[in-house]
Amino acid sequence: MPAFLQRRVRAWIRRRQGPDAGPVTLRRGRIYILPTGLGIAFGVMLFAMLMGSLNYANNLGLGLTFLLASLGVVAMQACHRNLETLIAREAGSEPPFAGGDAVFQLALSNPGGLPRRDLEASAGAGAAPPVSVEAAGESTVRLRVPTRQRGWVALDRVEIATRFPYGLFRAWAVLHPGLRCLVYPKPAADAPAPPQAPGDAGGGAVRRGEDDFAGLKDYHPGDPPRHIAWKAYARAGELLVKEFSGAAEPLPVFDLADAPGADLESRLSVLARWVVDAHARGETFGLRLPGVELPPQPGDAQRRRCLAALATFELPATAHG
Amino acid sequence: MAESRELRRLGWTMGALGAALAPHLLHLQPWITGLVLAIGAWRLLAEVRGWRLPGTWARALIALAVTLGVIVSYATITGLDGGTALLALMSALKLLETRAPRDHVVLIFIGWFLCLAAFLYSQDILTVGWVLPTVWLLAAALLPVARQGEAGPPLAPFRTTGAMLLKAAPVALILFLFFPRLAGSFWGAPSAERALTGLTEEMSPGDISDLTLNDVVAFRVRFDGRPPPPPLRYWRGPVLSEFDGYTWSRGGSPLFRPPVRFRGEPIDYTVTLEPTGQHMLFALDMVQSWTPGFANQDWDYGLRTRSAVHAVIQYEARSYPRYDAGVELSPALRDRNLQLPQGRNARALALARRMRAASADDAAYVRAVLAMFREQEFYYTLTPPGLARDSVDDFLFNTRQGFCGHYASAFTTLMRAAGIPARVVGGYQGGDWNPIGGYLIVRQSHAHAWSEIWQPGAGWTRVDPTAAVAPERIERGIEAALPGEELLPGALMRESAFWWQAGMLWDNVNARWNDWVVQFDRLKQESLLADLGFGGTDWQDYAVALGGGLAAAMALLFAWLAWESRPRSPDPAAASYRRFANRLARRGVTRETGEAPTRFAARVARLRPDLGPAAAEITELYLRQRYLPAPAPGDLRRLRRLVARFQP
Repeated sequence: MPAFLQRRVRAWIRRRQGPDAGPVTLRRGRIYILPTGLGIAFGVMLFAMLMGSLNYANNLGLGLTFLLASLGVVAMQACHRNLETLIAREAGSEPPFAGGDAVFQLALSNPGGLPRRDLEASAGAGAAPPVSVEAAGESTVRLRVPTRQRGWVALDRVEIATRFPYGLFRAWAVLHPGLRCLVYPKPAADAPAPPQAPGDAGGGAVRRGEDDFAGLKDYHPGDPPRHIAWKAYARAGELLVKEFSGAAEPLPVFDLADAPGADLESRLSVLARWVVDAHARGETFGLRLPGVELPPQPGDAQRRRCLAALATFELPATAHG
Repeated sequence: MAESRELRRLGWTMGALGAALAPHLLHLQPWITGLVLAIGAWRLLAEVRGWRLPGTWARALIALAVTLGVIVSYATITGLDGGTALLALMSALKLLETRAPRDHVVLIFIGWFLCLAAFLYSQDILTVGWVLPTVWLLAAALLPVARQGEAGPPLAPFRTTGAMLLKAAPVALILFLFFPRLAGSFWGAPSAERALTGLTEEMSPGDISDLTLNDVVAFRVRFDGRPPPPPLRYWRGPVLSEFDGYTWSRGGSPLFRPPVRFRGEPIDYTVTLEPTGQHMLFALDMVQSWTPGFANQDWDYGLRTRSAVHAVIQYEARSYPRYDAGVELSPALRDRNLQLPQGRNARALALARRMRAASADDAAYVRAVLAMFREQEFYYTLTPPGLARDSVDDFLFNTRQGFCGHYASAFTTLMRAAGIPARVVGGYQGGDWNPIGGYLIVRQSHAHAWSEIWQPGAGWTRVDPTAAVAPERIERGIEAALPGEELLPGALMRESAFWWQAGMLWDNVNARWNDWVVQFDRLKQESLLADLGFGGTDWQDYAVALGGGLAAAMALLFAWLAWESRPRSPDPAAASYRRFANRLARRGVTRETGEAPTRFAARVARLRPDLGPAAAEITELYLRQRYLPAPAPGDLRRLRRLVARFQP
């Protein structure tokens, strides 16, 4: 299909279907089907066979032609049915760093009694390898969308297509799921080490020492497991964490103001590098951006919070896509 | 992994293509068959061993060479033979560059064309029996080419395609029944020069006795009323007026056809003629009318079609066994039917003059000649010795052993020598009655030759000299006329009642096949439409019948597909177990919510000891089905059977 025609068709489909929300059942009204190049060649062959058989008044030749033509019709139905009643729903996404691929997961479930074969999902340039969905089963396709910069990347058009069984026809359905996935700033490759022992550990952030046992306190997610008081747990059935007091050491809070760089993006990249490295070392850290204050905490959740804050900070207008 | 996949595709494509080529290997020239097989074997080896395929230039050179070869062998590439040969060779050459899915597709398409070509050669049941599975195989071969996902079990393409063809069948049937047939053709009919056994428009001594060994069906005849008795079953074919001393032929330019006066009751019948490769049609003597436009009648009353008969054809005819043909004889016709080659068969000519002089009139002379055949030492045999150049002399005075052709030739010569206009008529005499189908089978072995003499007042009159030597030939068929030690092929079959019955049944199937499939033409289509209640037979009726039929077939197809893809219980074992629990509940043994199946089974055994073993077995099978990672394949079926039989 020529590019301009394809654009028109896509716009038309978007207008007539509207945006999708939640699981989408591929009903008849949203499945499109056209013969492929092979299908057209098959049609031409059938026409030649028809002319030959009519010319020679050969009934068995006609019968053969009609049988193959009917097979084509059945193949068209089978191709269409291969998509029909399939249910597509979003199954999570994995935020990438800018420059990497955002992965949107799409679960395809098959409520019918026949397996669906060779389903190809694609979004823009990214296409997932073909999958099958067994009867009453479910398969997940991973759609990769390449990213260039931090911010939001959207998945607003997914095509689920199939050429099963003979490749004579291509049936496809279009979803406009309006999914978004955050793109973290790419961690700078050669960032300096974060400034050690900032002059004033603002916010009273104190790194707790590990020298003297100071008491027990309630467990909170994120507390290091080696500090859990297992004996106390065995006695009382309650998770408690041992607290230690030691030389009060200020906890690092990565500040945009401390990050070197020519522009905002490279400074955010440096911050991302610090966050990723600190998390990899299992450290506790915080983040400070103009208008954003994330007090120091350890763990995955903190890493996600911090990177998300970096990703969305003062987003330029063109950050989408 | 990718290589084994390509090998698999290649296996499918080549297997299917081989099946499509098989019906042609017999009529293709040996060098083509050999080349195709060699290239196929080489390609497979190349794939397995990883050899390089020939480059573009090499392929172009080979293509050029084989095209020239076909032109040299067949003189053309457009005819059926040349075209098929080229198609076969091109498929083999295409095999040499088969890598991409597209190449496979081209091969599969060629395979379908080869199937069509097979039907142009023969439309009999056996051909269909071969071609139909081939079509299936070719479509199945398309599946591994088109599939992108996992390959699946090796025979899955065959099964999937079989199911699809089954669904396609009703739609195809509607198209076959109601797609309008054409009266003529767009371009020239095929000019296949095929060697077909059968009568030709020439007759040399021994020609017909060779035919007699052939059991193949020449044509079948269905009579509207009672069939005529055997002595009247003379099927006129080519009329041979030209004699060179050894061979009789049609010869001559068209002449005026003398009129025929028909007498008595007509016989109406339909002939289904197998391909002859010739122009002549066969009709009972003397034919009055036939399917209009089908053939022209010659000056010698033979029916001839404009183009040679290369497919099974069917025509109706009306004949009168009693007739006066050509009572007035034009001088040109008289001359032609008195013609004898100069200086040949001198002794026969002398014999004729002697005998004519001794006879009172022409009729007495005819009787005398027939009496000579009957009373002197003439033998009727299938295996007559060869004859010299002056065949009539050699036969009359030397060998004296002959078949119908020898007698007809000698008799006609003796007539002409005595001044009686005479000619040889070729055709068939008799036929096997098929009591199962109620029609007459005329085989090549019924080929016959007789004479026709012109008598003043009566016109052309049939005289069969063979009847003088072997009257049984006419009354009871050829076998009765032959000496005991000479056996026809299939004689044993005719001896055994069972095999005779089976043979007639099979022939009947073939006859019906010809009637209803091969010969399903415009006329039969119109009568079908009339039976379905369509008044006229113009294009609107066709459109309505075709459209309505297709709509019905499609509705059927949709219903079928919907039924096939209906949601099914994801866990058939659970459904069976639920059924089992429900049956027990109706008898007052209700499974508590959350009660483990084994506990429930134990409770059943306690409450109803008679049901204990069955419940235990069902529970065991259910649990196995549910929790074993790979349950035994027969378990589910056994579970269903046990539950079905479980009647507390």
